[in-house]
Amino acid sequence: MIALLASELRRFRSRRLVKVLTGLEVLGIVVAGVIVFLTQEYDLAAFPNTLRGSSLVLLSVGWMLGASAIGAEWHAGHLTTILTWEPRRGRVILAKIVASLAGVFVLSLAVQALLGIALAIDAAGRGSTTGADAAWFAESAAVATRVALLSTIFAGFGFALAAAGRNTAVALGAGFAYLVIVENLVRGLRPEWAPWLLTDNAALFIIGRTDFNLPGRTVVQSGVYLAAVGLGLLLGAAGLFRVRDVT
Amino acid sequence: MGLYGGRVDAVIELEGLRKEYRRLRGSTTVAVDGLDLSVPSGGVFGFLGPNGAGKTTTIRCLLGLVRPSGGRCRLLGREPADLHRVIGRVGSIVESPTMYPRFTGRRNLELLARIEGIRRSRVREVLEEVALDDRGDDLVKTYSLGMKQRLGIAAALLKDPELLILDEPANGLDPAGIVEVRELMRRLGREGRTVFVSSHILTEVQQTADRVAILARGRTVATGPVHEVLMAGRAAGLVVRLDDVAGGLRALGEAGIPATSDDGVIHVDLPPGDAARVTRTLADRGLYLTELRSDEADLETVFLELTSGPGTQDR
Repeated sequence: MIALLASELRRFRSRRLVKVLTGLEVLGIVVAGVIVFLTQEYDLAAFPNTLRGSSLVLLSVGWMLGASAIGAEWHAGHLTTILTWEPRRGRVILAKIVASLAGVFVLSLAVQALLGIALAIDAAGRGSTTGADAAWFAESAAVATRVALLSTIFAGFGFALAAAGRNTAVALGAGFAYLVIVENLVRGLRPEWAPWLLTDNAALFIIGRTDFNLPGRTVVQSGVYLAAVGLGLLLGAAGLFRVRDVT
Repeated sequence: MGLYGGRVDAVIELEGLRKEYRRLRGSTTVAVDGLDLSVPSGGVFGFLGPNGAGKTTTIRCLLGLVRPSGGRCRLLGREPADLHRVIGRVGSIVESPTMYPRFTGRRNLELLARIEGIRRSRVREVLEEVALDDRGDDLVKTYSLGMKQRLGIAAALLKDPELLILDEPANGLDPAGIVEVRELMRRLGREGRTVFVSSHILTEVQQTADRVAILARGRTVATGPVHEVLMAGRAAGLVVRLDDVAGGLRALGEAGIPATSDDGVIHVDLPPGDAARVTRTLADRGLYLTELRSDEADLETVFLELTSGPGTQDR
């Protein structure tokens, strides 16, 4: 199992989409850092809010990477090759899930750390570092960790949908349809169901303030709910993977 | 005795194997329909059939990639549920082998080798074995179809397998590559391994395999040593060539020997063991042969005779 996991981690790290999206994120950070340096006096105390504001990018990247980690394998037929080496499908899917989710978590943390470094340089050069104390560091670390965790959960959503649909596009399409159609319909027709909507819980989890948008729901409860949905989807996808034909 | 220990009389056993694919509209496609097959240990076994006969589905069932709808299949004595206990002794290619195009050939093999804990030097050995050692460090996306096929064969050989299952291994290979694969299969068979090779290139199988099974419409229509299948596929006969074909036909007819002429030769409907009777009959009438040989079928003829008819059944 360890060998399989190591092999999957290598594959994840070498994926073109991982490299392209990471490169785009790094490029975006560099460009943003230069623009901020030239146009603003950045206050480092605002860094936790900057992280919250940029989380949507990381959540989208997480969803895409999770989806492509299995969708591309189905599309190209690599799973047939792997299953002729390890026929225990539970192990194969578990290794892929762990590798892609761990990869997304580490990548999210690294990107946020890079963003922090870029903005710290801006703040030290032209802005202000006042208020960047231990409490600020703890808050920044907590927000970054929650964003990374949520990116990982979203990667799980993408992985599960792509595994079930055997295609990356299925996961991306289903995600878009859910966010744009289902959630808006629910908000309009059944507003009392809002506590079960993914985006409302995600917002609460990222903001990190109890009762931000869902009365009676805590940050931890939101995180647990989102993780449970992700786990449920992954278990369903793994169950399907175990019983369906690989043709 | 299996090459790597453990007594196994038949390395592949299929009993009434059946596979149906259900479609969304409710109809069913029967890909394999009660297939019985036993592949003995050692040598090259050809698995022949036209497109849609069920060859690849059978191989997928054996490797646990698809679940049979009925019947049983065993690989090295193990049911699909226990496949992981023997998969380390089985190398395989299913259809076109898929590798990561943006990895080098070597890296692809190293990733697979890592799963089984195979040493790195083995990767170098198999790359040499399939003549890819000089291109091993190039990206797979730069490989030709034939090179990808050779890389797939290298992957199948990585485990130093007791049983090789190769699904159309000559696909995409140029004539030199086909000869190389043929030689490789022969050598592996001589080493005591079992090579189970599905193919529609009949001459390849005829030159390589010790035994064959011919599949049609999801069932075995002939199986056994190649020469026996050839004999069973059509009536044995003799081909006679002589200057006076009309006189020869008349003489044979007067002697009660059934014969027909075609393209300047006479086809005699007697087994090769009766050749002396034919020569004596003709010589008694002053007709002397310029050629006498048995009317041997090639595998292609037998294959076409046995497999003619509709392919996969839709219900």
